[in-house]
Amino acid sequence: MPVDQLFILVVSLFGLGCVAAFFTQGNPKVTNYISHGLAACGCLATVGLAVAVFLTGDQSLSFAWGEPIGSIKIRLDGLASFFLLTFGVVGTATSVYAIGYCREFFSRRLAQLTVLYNAFLLSIVLVLTVSQVMPFIIVWELMSVVSFFLVNHEYEKDGTTSAAYLYILMTHVGTVFIASAFLLLAVAAGSGDFELLGAGVMSETLRSIVFLCALLGFGTKAGVIPMHIWLPEAHPAAPSHVSALMSGIMLKTAIYGMCRFFLEFLGSGPEWWGQLVLVLAIISSVFGVLYALMEQDIKRLLAYSSVENIGIILLGMGAGMLFMSKGMPLLAGIAWVAALCHVFNHAVFKSLLFMGAGAVLQATHTKNMEHLGGLIKKMPYTAVCFLIGATAISGLPPLNGFVSEWLTFQALFFLPKAVVGIVGKIGAAMLIALLGLTGALAGACFVKAFGVTFLAKPRSKQSELARETSRPMIVGMGGLAVVCIAAGVWPHWLLEILQRVLPRSANVSTAGLFDSSQWYAVAFQTQQASGVLSMPMVVALVGIGLVVAYAFARAGGSPRHETGETWTCGIIPTARMEYTSTGFAEPVRRAFRSVLNPVNEVRYDRSASAYHGVKISVHVHVTHYVNELLYKPFCEAVFVFANYCKLIQAGSLQLYIGYIMAITVIVMIIGTGW
Amino acid sequence: MLIITMLVQTIIIVLLAPAIQGLIKNTKARLQSRRGPGYLQSYYDYAKYLRKDSVVSPTVSWLFHVAPYVYFASVVGAAALAPTVVSGEGLQLGNLFVLVYLFALGRFFLAAASLDAGSTFGGMGGSREMFISVLAEPPLMLALFIVAHSANSTSLTAMVGAAAATPVTFSAILAAVAFLIVTVAETGRIPVDNPDTHLELTMIHEGMVLEYSGRPVGLIFWASAIKQVVLILLLVNFFIPWNIAGFDSVMSNIAWMFVKVLLVALLLAGIESSTNKIRLFRVPGLMAAAGVFSILALVAQ
Repeated sequence: MPVDQLFILVVSLFGLGCVAAFFTQGNPKVTNYISHGLAACGCLATVGLAVAVFLTGDQSLSFAWGEPIGSIKIRLDGLASFFLLTFGVVGTATSVYAIGYCREFFSRRLAQLTVLYNAFLLSIVLVLTVSQVMPFIIVWELMSVVSFFLVNHEYEKDGTTSAAYLYILMTHVGTVFIASAFLLLAVAAGSGDFELLGAGVMSETLRSIVFLCALLGFGTKAGVIPMHIWLPEAHPAAPSHVSALMSGIMLKTAIYGMCRFFLEFLGSGPEWWGQLVLVLAIISSVFGVLYALMEQDIKRLLAYSSVENIGIILLGMGAGMLFMSKGMPLLAGIAWVAALCHVFNHAVFKSLLFMGAGAVLQATHTKNMEHLGGLIKKMPYTAVCFLIGATAISGLPPLNGFVSEWLTFQALFFLPKAVVGIVGKIGAAMLIALLGLTGALAGACFVKAFGVTFLAKPRSKQSELARETSRPMIVGMGGLAVVCIAAGVWPHWLLEILQRVLPRSANVSTAGLFDSSQWYAVAFQTQQASGVLSMPMVVALVGIGLVVAYAFARAGGSPRHETGETWTCGIIPTARMEYTSTGFAEPVRRAFRSVLNPVNEVRYDRSASAYHGVKISVHVHVTHYVNELLYKPFCEAVFVFANYCKLIQAGSLQLYIGYIMAITVIVMIIGTGW
Repeated sequence: MLIITMLVQTIIIVLLAPAIQGLIKNTKARLQSRRGPGYLQSYYDYAKYLRKDSVVSPTVSWLFHVAPYVYFASVVGAAALAPTVVSGEGLQLGNLFVLVYLFALGRFFLAAASLDAGSTFGGMGGSREMFISVLAEPPLMLALFIVAHSANSTSLTAMVGAAAATPVTFSAILAAVAFLIVTVAETGRIPVDNPDTHLELTMIHEGMVLEYSGRPVGLIFWASAIKQVVLILLLVNFFIPWNIAGFDSVMSNIAWMFVKVLLVALLLAGIESSTNKIRLFRVPGLMAAAGVFSILALVAQ
């Protein structure tokens, strides 16, 4: 099927999904199947579209719609198709999952939810394909507004609405910067067409202003620290299949925007661009994962971990920009491939984890890990899927997270080629050490997330009564778990795609970068750098190790187990003796207390009796310095300013009429030119 | 050829690891004026563990049963990648980050399994093990970066080659000190952890595996011994780069490598006997010291 027809098919499937939900709202069961089925088909068609573009090359489509709209240009190049592929893979899984997950919304506005869901998918496809300035800003806004309503869908719950408002506020602040960046470029280029935007002649200062606007604007959407504050509020508030999509794909549309700006529109810039991106990236990754480790709410934990992973993506991009500004196209290619590879991988495993968290939430009605536990026996399939996601996100071989982390390490390792001298060397070493720290913290964080949620005894009645989730949800999660394994064990295909999709320019080159002629290894070899990654070998080694371990264990006859209660110094073990999520993070919290500033609060509940049986509970909060030092003073300043405004705006009608009179007189005086 | 080398070295490391463990224990005992167990005692211990049945808590899930195997397998994988004989030809498959993350894989599963039995001791051990790994990762990366930087590659064989080719400098000595501190932490030795204690509250690695018995515990102890040898091999080949195997006369250099490994093992026993275990929340300071050594080494390079 030609590409243009496929594109129309994708758009019409999502459109049909919206319409179908609207017309079948009398019967939620039908809505659920038809609407989410159409969404899944649309996402599959998007995968087909991306593959078709990979096979036939870049395509431009133009839709002429007559006056007020004019003609809309759709460009399907490698970069857009790569993001479409990621979107299609994740979207198919979340749509199938939604069939099961949305059963709990049968009595709660299911039709609205599915209309919005399809519209959300459609807006993401448009954001990734539209290639003119004004349509882009419009679909970008559409995506923000639709996702605002999705976040706000469960408005009965406490905090949902305030989270949604924080989200829409922050995303609009971002849009201001994005629009400014686009308009500055469009004015300089004299055209709103993406292909011509890069051609405009601009002064160095103006280019830097455009760079900063794009970084701030898209950084807000991506959740880069310090613009991340909406993310840990909005993602947990949304229904889980939507949070999976928001974290997996919507954040990546911001990365897509940055790629367009930094690779195409702006090209290579001064060195400090890359350095600034690297600094923001490492702050985001280290603090993102630290805050994630401190969380007790499983969805907030995942949201903070998204901040971390966006940081890892930006590490690759920042390194790429540094190499670009030094005219090292091949090294820049490696760094950009590392970033885009992590885009795909993070989309897959973060969506998987959010869906797993959603399954837990649906089964137990709590997101607080301190009330979970023992779910591996109640929900075995969910547990396996979550474990695969947790292993992948911790960057452990042989899963996909390791591949992109390895590439990012390589990109950082060769940074001293671009920044010669002691600064480059120490900078690269520190970045590698901090990325290693991030990896170790992510490991601790996901040992905690998986262990406390799924292992040991149930900590509450709800988790004791939990049951395995419905089949569509398991299928959705299982599909992404398979992708995690496939992209890890056999990364050749992903890297093969990636080295073709990056826009070719003088500054970035990926042509023939990766030598994947050997089935067992992917290698890159340039004049300055070389590296080999052999994932099949890692699998083989671990496999041999397993065989050896099995042989050792069997050497003395087949093993027998005897059941004996867990040793707790002679007391009968209960769930209250288990290590808690707060306790697990305690050593790290104490070691990093200078940046986390934890506050322990002990609460005594004497309601039962004033003398005995006092219930004591400990609550630990960490201080988020970004909020304390940046947003709080700003909010206070707004209030102070508003108080001053009150002086002239006291609510007295006479006074207001007086103001109007005075202004009129002043305008008349000025107008007559004295 | 490469595959045969890898297989042979893996078999040798796996089989010799308990002997190194025995040597360290024996030396420690002698330094403390005890007679100590024989050099081969670890073999007897592991053989006994691997014949014994285990007692398993009714609380645990399949993960608890799988974790020791994954831990053992990941450490064996790391042993296959450890740089021993440098050929300098063919694809250099062993990669620094693969090795470090293979260790992380085993640690991840063992720490998760520590939470499975639902006892406080296990969770505490798992939490502290992850904490130590968080602290040890940056200085480990920094120390290895120094070697990798002079090799311009993160391939382990290339790194050994570069270490052998460059004369020993002040920078390399500083990096070696940093790496030694990290090795002590990663192998769970005094002053970071005490492998011989029998009080649950003071143990880290042993506390984490407290619920294991019989065959699984045999696998875990054996794997820990292998991990120790792999780390010693890294130390030996990167920071004591004389007579690296594969550069001229292979056989005599392999013999040299054995001697060097034994010397480092004695050094570890000496360190363990000459210091005392420090408080858990003093470990960040120790690791920061290792980081400072690495950065000084970078500056001096």
